[in-house]
Amino acid sequence: MKSLKKITTVLIVALLGFAFMAFVFPQEQKKGGSWDIPAKYKKMENTYAGDKSLLKIGKMMYSKHCKSCHGSSGMGDGSKAAQLETFAGDFTSEEFKTQVDGILYFKSIIGRDEMPNFEKKISDDEDQWAVIMYIKTLD
Amino acid sequence: MKKKLILALAMLFSFGLVIAQDDEGKKQKKDKPIRPMFESGILIDGQTSVIPIKNTLEMHIQHRFGVIKDNGASDFFGIYAPSANTRMGLNYSLRNNLMIGYGITRKNMYNDFQVKWKFLQQTRSGSMPVNLAVYGNMAIDGRNKSVYGDDYTFANRLSYFGQVIVGRKFNGWFSMELNASYTHYNAVKSDEVNVKGYEHDIIGVGGHMRFKFSPQSSILIMYTAPIFIEGMAENQEVMNTWYSNLGIAYEVATSTHAFQIFVTTANGIIPQDIYMYNTSKWTETEIRFGFNITRLWNF
Repeated sequence: MKSLKKITTVLIVALLGFAFMAFVFPQEQKKGGSWDIPAKYKKMENTYAGDKSLLKIGKMMYSKHCKSCHGSSGMGDGSKAAQLETFAGDFTSEEFKTQVDGILYFKSIIGRDEMPNFEKKISDDEDQWAVIMYIKTLD
Repeated sequence: MKKKLILALAMLFSFGLVIAQDDEGKKQKKDKPIRPMFESGILIDGQTSVIPIKNTLEMHIQHRFGVIKDNGASDFFGIYAPSANTRMGLNYSLRNNLMIGYGITRKNMYNDFQVKWKFLQQTRSGSMPVNLAVYGNMAIDGRNKSVYGDDYTFANRLSYFGQVIVGRKFNGWFSMELNASYTHYNAVKSDEVNVKGYEHDIIGVGGHMRFKFSPQSSILIMYTAPIFIEGMAENQEVMNTWYSNLGIAYEVATSTHAFQIFVTTANGIIPQDIYMYNTSKWTETEIRFGFNITRLWNF
């Protein structure tokens, strides 16, 4: 009987401990580290650049595939963003916009870790570039 | 009405053929297929011409509640009615235009095996103006032997459904499909053979429409109608009461899901059951809530 009391006390203390830990550890998401991008992607060029009609397609694709994490305006504040361990990025920032198309392609379509691969979900290269062209317009 | 439907179907088919002939002999650069006209391989109770890309596993959860007006608020408008029907199924795309699948339905414990082949693909340039697909399935009625009486054979459990689907994505917000089908049941109830009983076969026509009003949301409409041709009847007195099936859905699609929430008429889920045994009439508001969930995994 005495040992049961002890176990109960230990369990209560452990539970309270876990609850307090939630306040101790920072809840902020980590920023994604630097990307290791293969040379062939760095050199990759958008063969559809200049085709403004693709922006509408890009917006459709973005809404369907990207918005839930990256947010409507690309600030990384979508409805699922809070569940991510890594910040989803701010597409409106200057830092983002200075990246060349090939790098954006690798980050958006090939992905890594929590950023999924979209080569099959968005299988057509025209649609892939349409998304990249659209996210570059976000400000 | 039925004649008009058949005429419309014939015109759409012939339109596709004429264009195909015009293009014959011309050397063309490889044209891209049009972006998918629907978000799922199913649209309420019907099959669309959509097949996910090669090596995609597609899971369907399809549910139909009870008739809304039968018990009103007492079973929360059919949602808690005991007559609900469910199908769970898996499809796999062997090629970009070929899919196979299997599913089990609560009603009659149908086990269905299906195949869909899209042999013409609408192109972005318009060189091919329509999608043309064929869909077929074989279902095994999984109920106890006792349902079949004394002269039971396994073949009595089988039913077949074949369909031709022709569709066109007119623009980003409007797509439409028409279909024609043939249903066959190996065993049907009969009071007196060839005199009074149920028919083994029925022809059907139908259509699907999508009005896409935002990047992720659409309104879907589905209609199917069995067509009974008296000259083809086996019985002098036909016992079937064939009713058409109408459904209207709201669809939300994400990267890997499509959710369809709708009102529809039929309690059945597999197409041959709907064409042959739908006993609800939408004209008398015998409608029910239902939903379809599609989940995709790419490999």
